[in-house]
Amino acid sequence: MQSKQYSVKVFETTIKDEKQFMAFFDANYALFKDHLILITGDLSDEVRTYLHNKPLTFLNNVLFPVGRSRKALEEEMQAKEVEYAVNIQIAETEIAQLSRRLQNNLTVLDEMVRSGQDLSIKGDLLLLNRVNSGAVIHTTGNLIITQIVEGAIRCDGNFLMIGISSTASVIFHGVEVENSLLGNKLNRIELKNSEIIITPVIQKEINWAS
Amino acid sequence: MGIVIAVISGKGGVGKTTATANLGLGIAMNDKSCMVVDFDIGQRNLDMILGLENRVVYDMVQVMDGEATVKQARIRSKVNENLSFLAASQSKDKTVLRSAKVEKLIKELKSKYDYVLLDSPAGIESGFEHTIEFADAAIIVVNPEVSSIRDADRAIGILDSKSQKVKNGEEVAKYLIINRISAEMVQNGEMLRSEDILEILSIKLVGKIPEDRGVIDASNQGKPIILDKNSIAGQAYTRISARLCGKKVEMKNIEISDSSLFKRIKGIFR
Repeated sequence: MQSKQYSVKVFETTIKDEKQFMAFFDANYALFKDHLILITGDLSDEVRTYLHNKPLTFLNNVLFPVGRSRKALEEEMQAKEVEYAVNIQIAETEIAQLSRRLQNNLTVLDEMVRSGQDLSIKGDLLLLNRVNSGAVIHTTGNLIITQIVEGAIRCDGNFLMIGISSTASVIFHGVEVENSLLGNKLNRIELKNSEIIITPVIQKEINWAS
Repeated sequence: MGIVIAVISGKGGVGKTTATANLGLGIAMNDKSCMVVDFDIGQRNLDMILGLENRVVYDMVQVMDGEATVKQARIRSKVNENLSFLAASQSKDKTVLRSAKVEKLIKELKSKYDYVLLDSPAGIESGFEHTIEFADAAIIVVNPEVSSIRDADRAIGILDSKSQKVKNGEEVAKYLIINRISAEMVQNGEMLRSEDILEILSIKLVGKIPEDRGVIDASNQGKPIILDKNSIAGQAYTRISARLCGKKVEMKNIEISDSSLFKRIKGIFR
């Protein structure tokens, strides 16, 4: 299929006084001869023949797809720009928040957490020693413990990396994580799209001798 | 200037008082002057285990309050004259202890004896805190069972935060005694292994004491088991006392019972 596309100048009007209408076109014929005349409202045969003889191309009572004015277009552009700027700002704050959550006041500790100790850490914690039965660790950020955990862990960060014994209790974002799911030597527990995902980091060592 | 050692456990009934009595006597047998003080105010037992029950006139609370001197209140052991004993008050309770008074008493004892052993009360309340506050070292007595280990862990945590030495930036030496090990149960995997206990508590081991039926009878008679050269627990206490006095004594593996060793040898020749 072959087609062509035009931009056409349209003169839109309504006829109130036929004589005045014809007089207007007689006077301004040169100006309007390339225009498409759009007449809304009634159109008498007299005017119809007048337009035919002139000759002027005309349409009666037709709805055109109305283009937007320059002002409207400018306003739309401006709105889009504002929206874009807002989106960028939202994205930036989200990235900032995320990066703050990824590494936020990192505390590194190399001491045993003994029974009865209650460590409450604002931010991330890297613990290089064991957590004994009866101890409690709570972090608002991410938590990595390299030695075995026998106590209670409360983590509200993006991820948690631990290896536990059967006596441990792990609560991640208020959800109790079943100990049997953390059977590997080191497990990663993370929050992805409001879903808790557990992946083994270091598999359980297999004791072939026994 | 002597050394002050607090004997603690956290949990009750693991053998603190028995250990204190035996180690006190053991240290005295190594020709060192030793003072054992019962800090378990209101529930004194050490006098009975040492067999000095009938000789208590003044107690340590009276000494602290200045009603009696150390010389008046201390009781010399009949068995070994290097060993002295200061009884706890039976009528008062743990709340009578005050830091300043305890410090004064311990300083005085420290200047007079080579070793001062403090028998701590069970639990982690004020009585326990006063016992550990001015100690240079601590002996932690545990049984190979989880509840004892957890309580000991808690006690060590408090020791590491409340001790005067730690507050001055120094470290309190901590030694572990594993009491009442049954070789047979360890062999069958029914008892916690020493390696696991050491890993959990991560302090130095000073000795292991096997389960011995003779201990109860010895305590009842007021003759500490260390005096019985044939008992396995007594031998273990002798070894630990020597270690505390700076002698090098090899660790004996008491977790392999003679019977199982015998069975193994028999198995080879079958």
